[in-house]
Amino acid sequence: MAEITLVEAITLAMAYEMQHDPSVIVMGEDVGKDGGVFRATLGLLDKFGPERVLDTPLAESMIGGLAIGMAAQGLRPVAEFQFMGFIYPAIDQIVNHAARLRNRTRGRLTCPIVFRTPFGAGIHAPEHHSESTEAYFAHTPGLRVVIPSSPARAYGLLLASIRDPDPVIFLEPSRLYRYAKQEVKDDGKALPLDVCFTLRVGEDVTLVTWGAMVKETLAAAEMLQQQGISAEVIDVATIKPLDMDTILASVEKTGRCVVVHEAALTCGVGSEIVAQLAQKALFSLKAPPERVAGFDTIVPYARMEKHYIPSEKRIIDAVNRVMEFA
Amino acid sequence: MKIFYLPDLGEGLAEAEVREWYVKAGDEVKVDQPLVSMETAKAVVDVPSPYAGKIHELHGKENEIIKTGAPLITYDIEDATSDRPKNSVVGALEESSKKWDDGDVIVGSAKTKSAPVKAMPAARVLAQQMDIDLTTVKATGPQGLITADDVRKHMTSASAATAAHMAGGEALHGVRRAMAIAMTQSHQEIVPVTIFEDADISELTPGTDITVRLLNAIIAAAKVEPALNAWFDGRTMERKLFEEINIGLAVDTPEGLFVPVIKDAGAQSEKDLRKTVDEYKIAVRDRTISAANLHGATITLSNFGMITGRYATPIIVPPMVAILGCGRSREIAMVKDGKVVAGKIMPLSLTFDHRAVTGGEATRFLGEIIKQLQKA
Repeated sequence: MAEITLVEAITLAMAYEMQHDPSVIVMGEDVGKDGGVFRATLGLLDKFGPERVLDTPLAESMIGGLAIGMAAQGLRPVAEFQFMGFIYPAIDQIVNHAARLRNRTRGRLTCPIVFRTPFGAGIHAPEHHSESTEAYFAHTPGLRVVIPSSPARAYGLLLASIRDPDPVIFLEPSRLYRYAKQEVKDDGKALPLDVCFTLRVGEDVTLVTWGAMVKETLAAAEMLQQQGISAEVIDVATIKPLDMDTILASVEKTGRCVVVHEAALTCGVGSEIVAQLAQKALFSLKAPPERVAGFDTIVPYARMEKHYIPSEKRIIDAVNRVMEFA
Repeated sequence: MKIFYLPDLGEGLAEAEVREWYVKAGDEVKVDQPLVSMETAKAVVDVPSPYAGKIHELHGKENEIIKTGAPLITYDIEDATSDRPKNSVVGALEESSKKWDDGDVIVGSAKTKSAPVKAMPAARVLAQQMDIDLTTVKATGPQGLITADDVRKHMTSASAATAAHMAGGEALHGVRRAMAIAMTQSHQEIVPVTIFEDADISELTPGTDITVRLLNAIIAAAKVEPALNAWFDGRTMERKLFEEINIGLAVDTPEGLFVPVIKDAGAQSEKDLRKTVDEYKIAVRDRTISAANLHGATITLSNFGMITGRYATPIIVPPMVAILGCGRSREIAMVKDGKVVAGKIMPLSLTFDHRAVTGGEATRFLGEIIKQLQKA
């Protein structure tokens, strides 16, 4: 069993599935010869050949359309967008066609594509490379949105996403790509989709988060423990469809909730979670639910980045606010 | 010496042009410190230093084109291997030798044991302001919710005042708890009047069993005035007179007050009475007395004078209507036929429930008791 980084786990998952399912195709800009700008597809061209690993032109709309056509013909494309900031030319294909194929054909055809892309701030990159706009896709019926937060979950969730018959937007937190290593068994075991993962059990407050923010949230929970506050940490993982049952069970226990996401505050996925809490958990809440999120601005450039990304201090301050109530 | 090769500055570009150096040979630089401004086909970017250390040599002048992967700067750092960057990226990825510590990951929710309280938000705020524990409030809202009204009701109920705990207090159990409940009920229902009188026991034979004497006095008085050997129900306005006389005998123990019942005392001989009294005293002390023997009293005797006290206002436990309290006998100076003589008296206190017993009935009852006690 190897100790690998998150991006290596992604490579491992793709290699496993391509090995066992000949219909899996990998495509994107610079994914073949270069192995991807983050080396996420390193070695796949050598192993599986140019019929299965395609270097596309610099044309995101074409990547989307090509993948949908392949999927309709029985292939399973894993299409890479080099950064989430470049996905927008393909929105027409994704929203108008990939998300609707099953509905349009009354189930005769489905669209088993994984659209995978690095996302999120924190890598000191120029403009367009720091987006966290999962809310656009979570709002679209017909799309699944999956966000791993560790090498093991990246491996298991990507396998599950490739095997799923419907389109998945698979968002990879780029600042966690090489952050740390974890033992990941290359056994082809998928993790369940549409369910949250409870990473830390606690009694006083529920912290709900996903993606790269899992790192800061777990660190904040550790610091809160020093103050005598026991925090439960839930990694949502599948943003859509949302596993609200796990979150509700936790909030019924703790009575307090803080949602943490890097994406901008207004109309972020945190709003959906808090709206459901207000409807279904009002009588268990001891304090108003809080959201700690990115600001409603364009993600700043390298030197201001750390002021944008929610810090451990902002998370701890939010928890202290909700702890002031009963 | 460590060579920093020009990394891919953006999406696989092959080269870049030096615009402006920010450092020179001999400078000490920190990690991430901007080294040089490079212009690519796409943009002008700053290249941050991957290492901390002293600059040894710059490999290019301003306006010179440097190919991606070619040497950019040599650092004066001890390092045997000079590695080409394997992961060509835009920007910088944090790399560490840290281990990813996931701990125990639970798929779905962590199981919980307790069912916490559900309350309206307004109820929670009110309970917090009034320092009330929500788990003690009775819920009447939909789905088993505690409403704000439930909290207000809890505040005004009698139990609430004392439910807000006394520091160091202990909850009553067993006999003491039963006494508190019985006395509360008595106070709420009974309308008590107590008559005080003394029995002249100067002529009493020494060594007389006082308790048995009192029991026999009650038996005789109950035949004269049966109204005091009865039960009364204030709710139904019913009164029940009894043929048998079941005398409750108040017995004090360290645990509290017990009242075993001498059933059908009127049919018992003096010896039987004494035997029963002794047996009861032992049974109460040993806590072997049966529940049956603690119920069914129709009238009660409380001989509190064995300890101390002259007169009292003893409490009647419903549904009974009378209780005789007997205080401590003592020698006094009495006036008889105009002369002061020494004598002995036994103080008596008879409480009766004036809802069911008249003053006349009570005084005649007491008169008969005194007559019986004043016999030799």
